[in-house]
Order: sequence, then C-alpha cells, then structure tokens
Amino acid sequence: MRDLFGCGRAMVMAAAAVFAIACGGGGGGEAGGGMEEEAAGEEMASPVDMATAGGINAMVMFEGMAPEMDAIDMASEPNCAARYTDAPMTEEVVVGDGGGLANVFVYVREGLDAGMSFPTPGGAVVMDQVGCRYVPRVVGVQAGQDLTFRNSDGLPHNINASPSENRGFNISQPVNMDTNRSFPLAEVMVPVRCDVHGWMSAYVGVLDHPFHGVTDMAGGADLGMLPPGDYVVEAWHERYGTQTASVTVTTGETAMVSFSFSEAMAANAVVPMGEPIDPHGPGAHALAPATH
Amino acid sequence: MRARAMIPGFVLAAAVTCAASAPLAAQEENALGRDVYDRWCASCHGYEGLGDGYAATWMLPRPRDFTQALYQIRTTASGQLPTDDDIMRVINEGMPGTTMPGWEEELSLEERLALVDYLKSFSRFFAAGEAPEPLTFSSPTRATEEALADGREVYELIECNRCHGIDGRGDGTSSPTLVDDSGMPTYSADLTENWYFNGGGTVEDIYQRLRTGLDGTPMPSFTDLIDAGVITDEQLWNLAHYVRSFAPEDPPGITEVIRAGLVEDAPLPEGVDDPLWESAEAFYIPMGGQIIESPRWFVPQVAGLWVRALHDGGELAVHVSWSDHSESPDTAWAGFQAQVLAAVGPDEGDMEPGPRPDGLYLQFPMEIPEGMDKPYFLLGDPLEPVYLWHWESTADGAQEADARGLGTMAPQGDASQSLVSEAAFSAGRWAVMFRRVLENEDPGDLQFRIGEPVPVGFAAWDGDNGETGTRGSISSWHYIFLQEPTPATVVVAPLIATLLTAGLGVLVVARAQRREREGAEGADEGDA
Amino acid sequence: MNTKPWKHPLGQAAIVVVLAYVLFEWGIWLLPPLFGVASAPVPATVVLQYMGTVVVGVLIWVSDSEERWKQFKAPIHRVMVDPRQKVLRTALMVTIPLLVAFMTFDRVRPTVSAPAALRSVHPAPPGQIDFRGETMVLNGLENPLRHEGDLEEHYEEGKRIYVQNCMPCHGDALDGQGHFASAFNPAPLSFQDPGTIVQLTESFVFWRIAKGGPGLPREATPWDSAMPAWEDLLTAEEIWQVTIYLYEQTGWEPRTWEEEGAEGEEH
Repeated sequence: MRDLFGCGRAMVMAAAAVFAIACGGGGGGEAGGGMEEEAAGEEMASPVDMATAGGINAMVMFEGMAPEMDAIDMASEPNCAARYTDAPMTEEVVVGDGGGLANVFVYVREGLDAGMSFPTPGGAVVMDQVGCRYVPRVVGVQAGQDLTFRNSDGLPHNINASPSENRGFNISQPVNMDTNRSFPLAEVMVPVRCDVHGWMSAYVGVLDHPFHGVTDMAGGADLGMLPPGDYVVEAWHERYGTQTASVTVTTGETAMVSFSFSEAMAANAVVPMGEPIDPHGPGAHALAPATH
Repeated sequence: MRARAMIPGFVLAAAVTCAASAPLAAQEENALGRDVYDRWCASCHGYEGLGDGYAATWMLPRPRDFTQALYQIRTTASGQLPTDDDIMRVINEGMPGTTMPGWEEELSLEERLALVDYLKSFSRFFAAGEAPEPLTFSSPTRATEEALADGREVYELIECNRCHGIDGRGDGTSSPTLVDDSGMPTYSADLTENWYFNGGGTVEDIYQRLRTGLDGTPMPSFTDLIDAGVITDEQLWNLAHYVRSFAPEDPPGITEVIRAGLVEDAPLPEGVDDPLWESAEAFYIPMGGQIIESPRWFVPQVAGLWVRALHDGGELAVHVSWSDHSESPDTAWAGFQAQVLAAVGPDEGDMEPGPRPDGLYLQFPMEIPEGMDKPYFLLGDPLEPVYLWHWESTADGAQEADARGLGTMAPQGDASQSLVSEAAFSAGRWAVMFRRVLENEDPGDLQFRIGEPVPVGFAAWDGDNGETGTRGSISSWHYIFLQEPTPATVVVAPLIATLLTAGLGVLVVARAQRREREGAEGADEGDA
Repeated sequence: MNTKPWKHPLGQAAIVVVLAYVLFEWGIWLLPPLFGVASAPVPATVVLQYMGTVVVGVLIWVSDSEERWKQFKAPIHRVMVDPRQKVLRTALMVTIPLLVAFMTFDRVRPTVSAPAALRSVHPAPPGQIDFRGETMVLNGLENPLRHEGDLEEHYEEGKRIYVQNCMPCHGDALDGQGHFASAFNPAPLSFQDPGTIVQLTESFVFWRIAKGGPGLPREATPWDSAMPAWEDLLTAEEIWQVTIYLYEQTGWEPRTWEEEGAEGEEH
C-alpha cells in the first residue's frame, strides 16, 4: 500500500518544495499525539505562511466524576500481567488529576482553503505495544504517512485494522519487531485491535492535513499553526462521541477551543468510525452555533 | 465494551458507504449477474449486498457484506482486494464449515462469471478498476519428519496455540474474545477438522491462508514475518504441513453402523485414556442443529462425534469424543456466550446467558425392535419412549434416563442406575466413556444382544455456546452392532475353496499334458 | 499364426465378457444421467446373474461351430501343455486359487450392515387432513395462492420462509445438500431431483410440509425422518407460499389433478 502511493507522495513533496521556496515559509504544523520519529533532512515545507499564521490549542475537560474503569484480566498473558504492580485498568476513559480528558482526537474538520494541500510528513508515527496495551492508544496521522506498529513486548500480537475508506490489514507480530503501514485516504477513525489480547484496542485518525492532535492527561492538544480564517474543529472520543466548535484563527494569536464531556453522553453517543473527512468544507460560518 | 463502541461505527460506515457508492450503472448493465444474484444469493446476502438477507440473523458467521469488499479467501496480501479468480473459487467451492455452499454444479460458467462482476459492483473499492496483484507462492515442500518437527516449532514460536490451542482444537486462551469485523463472536478453526476449513483443507490452501490471512476475521497474515526475516518461506510451508497433520488423511465417511469390537484376551477399558481405545475402530457421527421443535438452534458447536465401542460378551463400553473450545461452564467464555445469544437468540425467543454444562446423550429404544419400528428419533414420543445414557460436565457421572419426547428426559430412580462412566477434558477435547452390562434385571433398561443391530442416536450440547435444552446438536438413528466371535467358516471355507481349485487345476493340466504326450507318441509311432 | 486378439474367438469372448461387466457395473448407473435420466447402481447379485447369462451365451456361441471351438480352446490348451509357457502356467495355477480364496473369504466374512429398511419415499397421501383444527380435503386441492394475490409476492415470501426454515437441511440450491444434511438419515430431499416435487401435486407437498416426519404413514418410517411438522410453526398461507417458491425456484411444474386422474384411470 505504501509503495503504491510512494510515487504520488514524491510528487506532492516536490510541489510542496517549490511552493515553500516561493513563499519563503518553513516549519511544519504537525502536532500528532503519537511519538514522532523525525526523519532528519526530510522535513518538507508546509504551504502555511508562518508570517500570517495563528495557532489553535484545544482543551478538553471531563465534567463530573470520572467513571470507574474495569480492571483488565491479563491472566491469559502472565508476562504482561507481571509488568503491573496494580491491576491495569481499561483505558477507555482516562481523566487527568486536573480534570482533563485524555485520548481525545481533536482536528480541523472544515474550513481549509480548497487549494491547499499538505506534504506528507517524512517521519513515521509510532504506535507501540507495551505491556499488552497500545501506547499511545489514539494517534493522528496524515494520509500516506508511515504508521509504525512496534512490538516491544516480545510476545505475540496481531494488528487488525478495520478502516472503511481505506483497505485494512491484519498482520502478525510474534516477536519484537516494527511493521510499517499507511492509509492513503482521510477517515476518522480507524479502529485497531489485537485479537490475541481481546482487551487491546486503539484508534487512528487519518487526515490529509497536519492540523490535529490528541489530548494529554491535562486535556490539552496543540493543533499547530494555520492560516487565519474560520474553522470547524471536532473532538472525537471513543466512548462519548464527537463535539464540534467553530474557531477563528488570527495572525500571531493562539485561539483556544474548549470542549467538555460527561458520562451522561455515553448513553446516546454516536461514535463515528470510518467517516470520510473533507477539510476543504465551507468553514465555520456555514455551521450552526458551536455545540457543547 | 469495545464491541459496543465499535458496532455503531460499523453500522454507520456501512450506511455511508452504501448511500454514497452503489455503482448502479455497472449493475444495470449486468442483467444476468443481477438475475443470478437476486435469485440465489440475495436471500442471505441481501438485495443490496449488505449481508443482511432474510436468513442473516440465523447465521454465525453472518453472510458476507459485499459493500466492504472484505474477502477471507484470497491470493492477495492482507487487506487487498481479491482477484476475480479468488471470488470465483468461493462461488464454486463455497465456504466449508459455514452456511455458504458451492455453486459450481448449480450455475453455469457464464452465470458465475456474471456473478463475479455483479458482486464486485457492490463495492466502490473495485471501481478503480486496478487488477489486484496476487502474491507469488512458492512450490510446496515435502512433508518430511524434519519438516513436521520444524513446523511444530514455528507453531510454538508464533504461538498459533493462542487461538487454535496446543492440539489445534481451537481452545486457545484468546479464543473467548475473538470477534470478526462485523462485531460478531467468532470461533478459531478446529484444525483437526480440515474438511471444515473455509478456504480448503489441503496443505497448499493452508499455506496460502497463512500468507494472506483471512480478512475480516482475527486470522492475520504472516507474510511480513518472512519479509522481516523472522521465519523463512520454507518454515511457513513446514507450519502448513504441521497444521495439516492435525487432521486425518481423509475426511471421515458417514457410517450407519458402529461396530463394537469383541475383546477376548484383555479386560474392557476402565477409563477414557485406556490404551485399548486406540486400537478400537472409530466412527464419525455428523451432528446438526436441533431445528425441529421450538426453540430451535441454528448455530451448534458440536459438528460431529467420534464413537468407539468394545464389548467382552458381558459388558459394553462406549467411548465418545469431540472437539470443544472449553470445559463448560468456563467463566472466561461467559462474555462470548452472551454475544452468541444476542446474535441468534431473538428469533427463537430470548435466552439469558448463564453458566451451562456441556452435555451428551446416547439414546436407545427400550428394547431391540422386532421389525422396522423405532421410537421417534427425537427422544421418542408418549407411546414409544426411549432409554438414555445421559452425561453432563457438571454432574457426578452419567445417568440412565428415560424420555417420551423432547423436553421430557428424566433420570431413572437411584436403584435403577447401573451405568459406569468417566469423562475427561483435555486440550479442547471431551472424551466420555460409558460402560454397562449387556443384560441386566432392570425392566426399564434396554437389553443388548450380541450380533443384533441396536438403534442408537446422539445429542450434544456446548454450554459455553449457550446450548441447553432444545438448543443443541442431534443426530438421527444409527446402529450399534456387537461383534460376534469369529465363526470357524471364515478360515475354513477359503482354505477348502483354495485346495479344491488348486487340485482341480493340477488335475486338468496334468491330464492335458498326458494326452499331449500320448498324442505326440502316437504321432511318432504313426510316422515310424 | 498371430491373429489379432479381436479376431480370435477367445479374444472376442473375453472382450464381450469384460464389456458386459463394465456396462452392468457402471454403464447402467452412470450413462443415463448424461442424458438427464435418473439411474442407480445395479445390486451385486443382479450383476452376478447378468454375468452368468452372458458367459453361458458366449459359450454357446463359441461351441456352435467346431472350427471356432477348436480355435477357442487352442490358446488355453497351449498354456497347459507348452513347455515354453511354464512360467505363465505356474503363475495362473497360483493366482487363480488365491483369487478364489479371497472371493470365498469376502463372501463368508461377517459383515455388519443396518437392517434393511424398506421405506416408501412417496407414500399415498390421506384424502383429507386436520390442519390446525380444520379439515382440509387434499383430493383435488389446488394451491389457492396461484389465483390469489401477487405471485411475485408469494414467491418472495416463500423465499424468506425457505431460507429461514428449510435451507439448513434442504440447501441454498434446493439440492438437499444443506449444512445439516449429513446429520440426518433419510437424507433431506433434493427438490432439483426429477423424482421429487415434479411427480407431486401441490396438495401432496402441502401435506408433507404440514405434517412432516411424524405425520408419515408407517411404511415411510415416520420415526426416522427429521422433517418437522411445520403446522406448528407456519400458517397455511406460508406453507402454500413456500410451495410456490419450491416450484418457481427449481423451474419444475407441479403435477396437476388432471394428470393425476389420467394416470388413475390407467391403473
């Protein structure tokens, strides 16, 4: 799959390089939640003019008492169970000490200029398998970008990705090893599971732009630097579904967008999987007032 | 929990995909494909190809949703589209072990070719028109002792046993949490029954499935391991040979009569692991779901029983074994059972999940019938009751019981109980042994007689699959035949026949030669 | 004198006997289906009887003319007396008695088979049945849905009923090869078979579906059949609908009461 699109990517890169020289800009806006492995010297310029750009920071809070998570029964995998002193908990809902909701995928859903296309980052996003859990559990990648699945456990995992827009895969990793895959089309989200360990699940958000992030334990995510304008930002959570907000980016400023989730939302939540995303949509003005 | 989060997503995705992409133009042009599909396929796969036909909720696994273009049996890499030949193969041969039959006999080649195109038209993934690239498969290696030994090491290295179990019976520790891409519970294949492998049971089939994986199921592809140098291609062939070796050389035939061998010079087996059982002839009894009386059961897990029987003129011992994913009730399977019942339950009335034992019965008439008459094969009826040997995994030993129709089974009184039994569960296999004297004083029991076929029927339950009561698998009537001592004629008659023929031959030839000599001498004399 | 085997009486006799055997053993069984006519293997005892007739016929023919009889005997005689044929002679004198020994053993060894059950596949239907408390006269009864409502809709409804109820045994292709079929004996009926529904009126099919195995008369061994009595699960309309599906899907025409009557007069 990666090879198939290698050619197209090279062309995008070349075009982006020309554009970058013309604009004299530099610096990427990538703010993925995953560990970045920067490929030295391959950093491509973004079409965003940094002189006029502004940022978006998201803050996602959890209202009320965080639901108690079930302990994961790792009895079938003693080697993993042995790595935990306290019983490992399901990570479906992770709330930080300050009330921030972690593992929320926040991304620009609409409002980017139609003509804008973004170079595929050269670095790979790494999703590690440690102690029979995905670390991180939620990542964002750009379409075509390498996603490295790493087995640091040294025991058998399989990586079963079930996208809807892209083609999936189900590959075995019985020992410590890396396997690269990529998704050529934007979709939110791609579920990933390990069938050997039924409790292991993760989610990958695929977008054809770099303006996305995954919230940390404080609930914060940096969506990077964008051209000034009106945008629709969406926050996606695996249990509580999605919320959108409109946000205006102005030069030199960092716009704050905040979301808040509560356990009551779980009951009627629609959790999109495999939804195609076209970020070149109409923008905030076409949208109803921000929902909370 | 995960399933709950995922199912709505898939439903939504399916709806989006369908609404956005049904390439109607391609379907309009393929009138033959549409006719064949609507006539023969739509009742399960649905007129829109969504896998939601009339019978879908009666089936596990569910019929394929063609809009997703996820095909298990392919020659292409994991996640890639199948080739036309791949789709044709499944149409021709079906998916053994599922409700999908082969259509090679039923449909003409032209109809099947049109059908391949029509199936592809359900999914936008085929619209790009690029021909999927099949993987290059190497030629099979030979199944030598070394290859099998190495295959076993690979089986252990990549831990196939996680799902398929040490002895390949699908009882691995990961089995209870397996779901397919439609969110439905799914069983890991029982490798001892290669005739039920979805993609065929030959070593080549197995190798190809290891290379490609079975998309939409938990079975991954191992091609990356060769690319990464973790194992070699030859080792993958060795693994395929090892997997093949779990199953018998040929699929078992169906026998009407179970022969109970006569044991003359050794005591009858005392338990399930007695080595004498290994020398006893094994008979395969195929089982089907109880779909005769409500509530019915369309997804039985006990697909067949292996039955061995021996007698010593005084007692009869019967050994029944079958593959089972778990020793029910096993709490690890509680969630799985709930998923199965949710998937198939509502159509036949709801049933709450709960701890349920595995079970087995052997059913006999009350006495050996004189003519053709037998009790009704489904536990008899009020007029003609049946006599049963009933075992449950949670009970202390098997019991003799009577029944006068489905749902009326009742154990005989304590004083009448005379059955000796032993059961053992090991590596995904139940083995249950029953022993009883051939003839006893109990008027409520069947009296066995040597040399007379006795009708026998079977039923089995897999508790962790949600099976109990009328929800289980059954067989129709078979016979058990207690072998008689070998009559002397078996040795004597052929011996006499040989001697007679040989003697006659010698006489005829000798006479002919004598006459020839006399003729020659006569001629010589004549000449002289 | 090296004549071609098929010109020599012994060769001709051998060829006739072999051809006859092939015809009796496999030809009668396998050839007619090629022309769409159903057939079945010939029982071993019948083959033996036929072969005996053929051998006698051949012997009469070879002994009919003195010349032919001599020719016929000559090679046999040569094998018995010619010193150059000693190897063949010895080999025959060993193998023939061994063959006889094996055949004798095969006949006398104890074999186990189920008691022969003579089973009527299409038993005579009753003149009338009780269906859910109502009397239904089967004689002359047509499928009422053929003239009532929309046939397409009945077919579609029949299809739904069939796959939800009948398919596990009778198969997606109506060929009796459902995924549970191997568990049941007698095997589920194939509706594609020209010996089944095409021979029957729709009222007969209705009766069989409604009453199932338990409703069979004794000569059809009701205790063996796994066919449920569908009157407990399906309405009369549903049974007529699934009957329509069986005929439409296989392309067979049901037998009509006129045909039934015509045949009745012949008897």
